Amino acid sequence: MPTKILFERIDSIELQGVSKKYGSRFAVESLDLTIEGGELLILIGPSGSGKTTTLRMINRMIEPDSGSILINGQNVMHLDPVRLRRNMGYVIQNIGLFPHMTIEENVGLVPKLEGWDQNRTTERVRYLLDFVSLPPDRFINRYPRQLSGGQQQRVGLARALAMDPPLLLMDEPFGALDPILRKQLQKEFLEIKKEIGRTIVFVTHDIEEAFRLGDRIAVMDNARLLQVGAPEDLIFEPVNELVADIVDTARKFKHMDTLNVKDLMTPLDTKYILEGDLDACHAVEVMKDRNTETCIVLDNGKLIGKLEMVNLLKCEEKNPLVRDIAKPMKVFALRDSVATALSEMKRSGEYMAMVMNGDTICGMLVSDEVLLKLI
Amino acid sequence: MIEIIHRIIILWEKHLLTMRTIEHLEMFSIALTISVITGVSMGIIIYSHPKIASPVLNFLNILETIPDLALLVILLPLLRLGTGPTIAASVIYSLLPIARNTYAGLKAVDAQYVYVAEAIGLSPKDILFKVRIPLSLPLIAGGIRIALVFTMGVVTLGGLVAAGGLGTVLQNGIQLYEKDVIILAGLWTGILAVILDHGAGRIEKELYKRYGTWQPQR
Amino acid sequence: MAATALIINATWEHIVLVYTSLVVSILIALPLAFASLYSRRLALVVMNFANLVQAVPSFAVVAIVVPFLGIGFFPALIAIMLRALLPIIKNTYIGLTNIDPALLDYAHGIGLSEWQIHRFIRFPNAYPAMFAGIKFAAILTNSIAVLTAFIGSGGLGEIIFQGLIGYNTQKLLSGAIPAIILAVLIDFFFTILEKKITPEHLKND
Repeated sequence: MPTKILFERIDSIELQGVSKKYGSRFAVESLDLTIEGGELLILIGPSGSGKTTTLRMINRMIEPDSGSILINGQNVMHLDPVRLRRNMGYVIQNIGLFPHMTIEENVGLVPKLEGWDQNRTTERVRYLLDFVSLPPDRFINRYPRQLSGGQQQRVGLARALAMDPPLLLMDEPFGALDPILRKQLQKEFLEIKKEIGRTIVFVTHDIEEAFRLGDRIAVMDNARLLQVGAPEDLIFEPVNELVADIVDTARKFKHMDTLNVKDLMTPLDTKYILEGDLDACHAVEVMKDRNTETCIVLDNGKLIGKLEMVNLLKCEEKNPLVRDIAKPMKVFALRDSVATALSEMKRSGEYMAMVMNGDTICGMLVSDEVLLKLI
Repeated sequence: MIEIIHRIIILWEKHLLTMRTIEHLEMFSIALTISVITGVSMGIIIYSHPKIASPVLNFLNILETIPDLALLVILLPLLRLGTGPTIAASVIYSLLPIARNTYAGLKAVDAQYVYVAEAIGLSPKDILFKVRIPLSLPLIAGGIRIALVFTMGVVTLGGLVAAGGLGTVLQNGIQLYEKDVIILAGLWTGILAVILDHGAGRIEKELYKRYGTWQPQR
Repeated sequence: MAATALIINATWEHIVLVYTSLVVSILIALPLAFASLYSRRLALVVMNFANLVQAVPSFAVVAIVVPFLGIGFFPALIAIMLRALLPIIKNTYIGLTNIDPALLDYAHGIGLSEWQIHRFIRFPNAYPAMFAGIKFAAILTNSIAVLTAFIGSGGLGEIIFQGLIGYNTQKLLSGAIPAIILAVLIDFFFTILEKKITPEHLKND
């Protein structure tokens, strides 16, 4: 029996004063958290911190004792759980593919229950398998036990995407994989994430994974939410020792004082360079071809500033020259300290700065990449 | 050798063994079909009402200890002579192994599969029919295999209460003290039972292999 | 109603037949099971034969004894044993072999003799399985002993067969009901014995 689509897209998920008790112990205690539509929010914390309980309350696998959870303003407790769950994808660590069903039957199970006919289901399954890099012809008729762990995890993801849900809940999906495979799947997952542009809530206990994948990270400990913010918030402004401990600031970042911008900068790729005398319309074309969203504008080798696709599109009608609309950007010297540079960038809300030696451009400093190099 | 085969053919025809075998298998199939339907349903019912599970299984356990001939005989006043009491007695014996194994199978399904099924939005009914029952099939098949042996035994006894089948041939053979008929019919009944049991065993093993959650127990 | 004396007499015959068969079966089965520990060939033959014969209808087993041994108490005893031996052997063998190898290693390590290992380790470990086999055999024996009246063993089955000839309901019931009561008693008795005999650490509940 088909269930109604509850939400085409996610605007927000609000957890308001949510608590869950087991016996006399809080699993989650008065949690307030807003997940924004389209973001990948990481829930991280040691085991028993309440991160998984929080995730499971979103699809009502666990029901809160008090507080409310609103998706696009609708209280999940007022929705039929079966219908609610069919409107979101769910991926867990031990995958849980049904051993008695083929890959096609596993991925197509919910579409079938939703009343799709065989052709449509098969087509969807083939598309999804392809999407998660499993050649459909080779895998569609196999049983889960004939697949490796990584392949099973991909099928698990395909199953979660079967109904094209706007929300994905992922409970340590890569936790059981060996480190190299985990890295690879994370990389692939980032690609997939870009393509599908959904809201994702992702539980992990691996801070490195959190930094790689998360737009924002919510740190939990002992049933409470300690802090939520972008990776650099947690690193540079942990609210307390516990957060610092969990993001491992002390160990991983204590050597940052000794590092210079030179050590962590990225060489300037020519694909990011635009000449100042180009007009906006052409610049849009060039950037499309180069598949970039941001560019650096140079005028005869002299730095003018940076240019973002979104800004360019706004002024396409007037069609000015790019040198006139480029915005100034921060510049650091080779010997500047990385820690200072990053906190300065963070304060002014920039994710990218230039590194110069006098008048010569040496490279770029990109905050995300710096973090990835550090961890 | 040829002479022996010749004698077997004559005996076979004289005692209508083809007809008796058909009668036998007919009773057997009817009884087993009823047993499977009621047994599996009963297993599902006591699974969904755990409070009555233990009393029901205990009661079936007691029925199981009753000597088969005595059970057959106390059904006579109710069901008259013939196939009626034979089939009824077969079903009564077969309920326990099928219901018990169904119940145990449904309970033994790995919790993670049920959890995932719930999480991806299967209703309780979907979970029962798409996950629990399929994953219990190997154990249910094991129960049906035991029931098959019981049913074969009771159906053979049916000859003693005028139900026809191979038991009738054995009964006549013993009463008339015709040794070669007894040997022929006895062996044939035994072989038939062993073949059916063996076939059921193969199916059971296949199910274990396909559903891959448990190893065959023997 | 058939004369009470007749029923009591038949019940007595029935009990004698059941317990003689059971005791003889145990006396043969246990040594065979132990012997199977020392010979894989024997174990294989015994187990396969056990599985095979378990599928054969009792009536066929009872009938097939007749051409070779005739009728009466002794052929009935043999027929019953053919069925009752196997569950005991099978269960005992499984109990004896289904033992943690580390425990055996340890036993050898602390210098127990072969006999001591049997006495203190294998045998106690095999108890529950063996006992379950004997219980099953007892109920089976009680069941077949009704049927063997057809080949002249006497007992409660005899009354039933007399009842069948003239379709005498009273006779049928006065044979069947005591047999059923005996079955329930055997089950009850063995269940209690099982609880007493099972070592504390092997109890499930």
